[in-house]
Amino acid sequence: MTLKLGRRSFADDATLMMAIVNRTPDSFYDKGATWAEDRAFDRVAEVVAQGAEIVDIGGVKAAPGGEVDIAEEQRRVVGFVARVRSAHPQVVISVDTWRAEVAEAVCREGADLLNDSWGSFDPKLAEVAAAHDVSLVCTHTGGLTPRTRPHRVEYADVVADAIRSTVGQAERAVSVGVDPRSILIDPAHDFGKNTWHSLEITRRLGEMTATGWPVLVSLSNKDFVGETLDLPIGERLTGTLAATAVCALAGARVFRVHQVVETRQVVDMVSAIAGRRLPERAIRGLA
Amino acid sequence: MTERIAVLPPVPALLPANLGRIDPVAELRNACRKAITWLVDGGDGAPVVVLADPAHRLHGIEVPLGLRVARSLLGEAGHGARLADAPAPGDRRLLVLANGSGSRSEKAPGHLDPRSFAFDELVEKALAAGDPGALARLDPELGCDLLAAGIEPLRQLGALRPEVETAELLYADDPFGVRYWVATWLSDGAQHA
Repeated sequence: MTLKLGRRSFADDATLMMAIVNRTPDSFYDKGATWAEDRAFDRVAEVVAQGAEIVDIGGVKAAPGGEVDIAEEQRRVVGFVARVRSAHPQVVISVDTWRAEVAEAVCREGADLLNDSWGSFDPKLAEVAAAHDVSLVCTHTGGLTPRTRPHRVEYADVVADAIRSTVGQAERAVSVGVDPRSILIDPAHDFGKNTWHSLEITRRLGEMTATGWPVLVSLSNKDFVGETLDLPIGERLTGTLAATAVCALAGARVFRVHQVVETRQVVDMVSAIAGRRLPERAIRGLA
Repeated sequence: MTERIAVLPPVPALLPANLGRIDPVAELRNACRKAITWLVDGGDGAPVVVLADPAHRLHGIEVPLGLRVARSLLGEAGHGARLADAPAPGDRRLLVLANGSGSRSEKAPGHLDPRSFAFDELVEKALAAGDPGALARLDPELGCDLLAAGIEPLRQLGALRPEVETAELLYADDPFGVRYWVATWLSDGAQHA
């Protein structure tokens, strides 16, 4: 299905890089590297130059920490979205938020996509997406409250739960007027999941892509990679790319990433192996 | 009576199934298309007879590469083709699939063989000059050593002794260490040797 992300449309075999841009002082991977607005702006220019089709701007880190209220979140992201919109008219601007008030404000500044990482904690997010004709990511968190960690979460079948939850949110979004071509589902590795759950979600991602809804995966440098390989943040790229390859083979469409260039290469290579993408140039043995 | 003759190389990269996102033989392909268009032009659908090396059956390939390349290019031009073991006097459109040596550089498929250059020059001059006699005298064993293709078909063309009015070399290059030519010959008849 053609994917419509705000002002941009993408062919049904296109894979997309969604580059993470934090407007936070404390996110787990970059630890505030782009907290200063100009640094975040430079990061946008860098990932756009690297070929990222989407930038995912977030003003609140996922993990527990100091309170960031609506006003502060808006202060961090709304003006920044306007600035990015003006400087990069072609890039798809995603905003990672669970709050309808923030969503409403960024849509007015030209955001194309609402990355609802906390799985419809505020169901009004879908109404905002519909009102502004923007895209929506429907996420599985197992019912977690925003900014809380999973503790002793159990599922009879984590994949079935992820499908039931994300597809349910997607159908509800359509029912309130979101364009069905503008909805992504995200199993949300590590959100409401332990490492075993995230590994199983990865192994069985084909069941999610089989729903027909385009799948977004957010794997980049996460703890399930760290625990699996016993590696700290900063040494998880290889493991991330291995998980990326498995998800790409299963047909994931959007990859939320810290490393655009490396992920793009892996996804293009896997797509070619799967027969979904032509090699760039083939002459060896064919001259 | 052969009226129009074209020579082009049986390059696998010309087959659509081998085409990636960037065409590594775009210039060659353009020249081939030009030659094919010219070849079928004014033929009133006359069959194009294709002369090509036989298939390498070792890997289960039944249809010769040259014929597949010819059919693909002719198909683009909306024309069928048949393969001939030998050209007949009544054939009006003849397509020969041949290329020079594949050993013109260290990175060439057959590495560097210094004999390549003289061999290729001989063929190239004959094609450019419309000299069937020189083609008829080509050494097929040397051609085989040098990974040249379609040398026997070129010898068959030479043996036809067409009287060439105009010969044109549309393309001559070796971008991958293999010498490619696209040549056209306009003839007003053919004499048997």
